Amino acid sequence: MAKTVMITDDTAFMRMTLKNVIEKNGYTVVAEAADGEEAVALYKEFKPDMVTMDITMPKMDGITAIKEIMKFDPTAKIIVCSAMGQKPMVIEALSAGAKDFLVKPFDAERVVESLRKISS
Amino acid sequence: MSSEAKLDFLKELANIGTGHATTALSQMLGGRLFQLVVPDAQMLPFSEAAEYIGGLEQLVAGIFIVVSGDVGGHMAFLIPFDSAMVLVKLLTGDDSGEMNELALSALQELGNIMITSYLNALSKMTDFLMAPSVPGVAVDMAGAVWESVLAGAEVTNEVTVIRTEFFADGESIEGNIIFLPDDDDFKKIARVLGLGEM
Repeated sequence: MAKTVMITDDTAFMRMTLKNVIEKNGYTVVAEAADGEEAVALYKEFKPDMVTMDITMPKMDGITAIKEIMKFDPTAKIIVCSAMGQKPMVIEALSAGAKDFLVKPFDAERVVESLRKISS
Repeated sequence: MSSEAKLDFLKELANIGTGHATTALSQMLGGRLFQLVVPDAQMLPFSEAAEYIGGLEQLVAGIFIVVSGDVGGHMAFLIPFDSAMVLVKLLTGDDSGEMNELALSALQELGNIMITSYLNALSKMTDFLMAPSVPGVAVDMAGAVWESVLAGAEVTNEVTVIRTEFFADGESIEGNIIFLPDDDDFKKIARVLGLGEM
């Protein structure tokens, strides 16, 4: 069965771009969240195999959402996809439990490579 | 440090930041070449700031962000409407010329990535955290968009404005990235880069 992915990003454009890349490569996108709060709720509902997570979002930022998701499921596989590539932020995301950190703009191949690495 | 030296220093920061921002834009658009115009840096009394950008009645798309962390300030990315529609077409494939929800979302993301790349470059140089807020996006007359940026920056007395224009060769894509650093914070940047007190 195809691995399932939840996309988290506050812009519809980026959700669409990521969804195209992810589905073209044989994964199933089961949920799309527009902020951290939604991501935590949808993670609990869908229990996706992997998650892409933006950082700067309204209501709840990505770092807080990672912490909340890891509290619920310490085996969660979360990849950060954010424009905010500054060292303190990368360190914070990884220590919160993210498995990889992709800085936007990213190549489609880089996203797929990260999903492959993390799902294996 | 003299005010001329201070402005020179700000221009250099703007050049580096915008260089990274347009590299990010180029990557998003499949490798177009962008040219930068020499940055403009000014310290303006508030009464003159509103007139600074010129072309106040021109229709533009604006994306703006509040910067917080070790260094604070405000940033805006202003694009003439025609350029914005060219960018939307390149990003989404939609050539209807309509500024619909997806178009605004694409511009918001593009502005976010460019402004954040600018900040990432300065952060790398200084080791300061410069965290962007969720971006706001608006399509309006340039004067109205700029006024809301200045209102957000709560400028009362004098404002430091650093602007860099860029354009693509042979295509109508052009824009402006504007940085309004909090005064005390760019003194910190100068100090950490060994430029002495400002």
